[in-house]
Amino acid sequence: MLDEPYRWVEAIRNRREYIEDQLQTASPVVGASYDGGIVLLTTSPGSRKLFEVYNQVAFAAIGHPADIEKLRKAVIDIAHVEAFNLSASDVQLQRLVNSGIGPLMKTAFDEIFRSPFIARVLVAELDPSSNERFYTIDADGSFSGRADGALIAGSAQAAEAIAAIQRRQRQQAPDPPPLNEAVKQLLEAWATGRLQDARDEVVEGAFSDEEIATCIRDTVGEQTLEISMLDRSLPTKTKFRRATAEELESAVSDYR
Amino acid sequence: MEQVDFLDLIRSKNHEGRSQLQVPSTSHIETTEGTTILALRYKGGVMVAGDRRATMGNVVVYDRADKVLAVDDSSVLALAGSPANAYEIARTLEISFQHHRRSQLHEMSLDGKLRTLSRLLRENIPMALQGIGAVIPIFATFDNQSEASKIYFYDVLGAQFESVDFCTTGSGSPTIRGALYYHNRWGGQPTPEMEEPEAIGLTLRMLETAAEYDTATGGHKPTTDVFPQVLCVTQTGVSTISESELESHYQNHLRQQ
Repeated sequence: MLDEPYRWVEAIRNRREYIEDQLQTASPVVGASYDGGIVLLTTSPGSRKLFEVYNQVAFAAIGHPADIEKLRKAVIDIAHVEAFNLSASDVQLQRLVNSGIGPLMKTAFDEIFRSPFIARVLVAELDPSSNERFYTIDADGSFSGRADGALIAGSAQAAEAIAAIQRRQRQQAPDPPPLNEAVKQLLEAWATGRLQDARDEVVEGAFSDEEIATCIRDTVGEQTLEISMLDRSLPTKTKFRRATAEELESAVSDYR
Repeated sequence: MEQVDFLDLIRSKNHEGRSQLQVPSTSHIETTEGTTILALRYKGGVMVAGDRRATMGNVVVYDRADKVLAVDDSSVLALAGSPANAYEIARTLEISFQHHRRSQLHEMSLDGKLRTLSRLLRENIPMALQGIGAVIPIFATFDNQSEASKIYFYDVLGAQFESVDFCTTGSGSPTIRGALYYHNRWGGQPTPEMEEPEAIGLTLRMLETAAEYDTATGGHKPTTDVFPQVLCVTQTGVSTISESELESHYQNHLRQQ
């Protein structure tokens, strides 16, 4: 039945809808530059969503935990084989995405007798020339890169609302802010996405500060807030670190 | 269960760099090649030091070789033997530890690290038997479980032993092994009771002694300002003693007496 092109297109459409449906309720991951590197933020019911891939590369994903784990392992393998064959400085995010995660997710998505990855991925890199780079990869393997910040969300309207608020934040303060300010902005962007999930139409500035604060307060009470950094100031080769208990507490203390 | 081990991963992808050259085996194993490596326990942890000379037969090839390498934040690998294989083993080990930490989300255990090094040495046996690629390392690390710095030494086939107070490897090692034994037994303050500056002083004297009697060990040459490497493994991790510090230790411990 699948030898007819129409059936194949239909099958692909079905699985796209299925994946959208599965990802619908995911808590967004938001990332931005701060004056000392890159910071990523999300919440989860328990399992980790922000990971270290290589010295200067971080990985985040939403979706099925088993698929996130497979993708995370795959990209760690690619990075370390690259480091083994050439050198640590040859592990570059662009290559990891273009010839690693991207094709891997696309192949799984296109082969309709295999299960696709139910996941969206966000990866970030501090490169040696002091630039930051973010890539997001969708479940069908399509990817796009940005320099100043990125997001992945479960629904299109949440993604749109977060993108709008991140744009506004960058217009208001074009230079990367200090860490605590960057975390505050990310938390606000994250909460906007969460609130938007309950509505269809995206209207900029639709949510009051009070609504955003309530959303943050309610979520951090029930779920685990996760913040990780690629921190240039670390003396070690690896620049990835998870936020300390104090940093997590100070991020939400205003909302308690 | 998915494949988790980095050594298996590079093998499955045919990326393994070391070829196991096949030539008739030599009648003896060249176990010690030009080098002196010394590891000793002092009050603050473990100190690992090595000279900088690389030789090929009676030719000095290089006088700035780094033979003591930090393979992660709390472990040091010191290498005696065939440089090509030794560096490859050090690199593979370093990436294996990183790969494990990132994929398994926790540090590889001490036993796991020792086992990985043992496996790499076992894989190197054919090269060692052919007389061209023996590697005899010393591995020093901080063990979080027992909260102590530890020293391990290996034989050419990969057997591993834990050293109590000190151990040595390389062609200059026989000279100083006896000297260290004498020092700890009758010579005054034993090394485990020494503070860092005294331990550095003793280490530099030992390397200088090895250089005196072993042509394949490089001593300190004032004309070029090349110093041995001295690395410390303590609770806070691996630290390298800088050349300026070594210079003043030379002044204090070697020149005036």
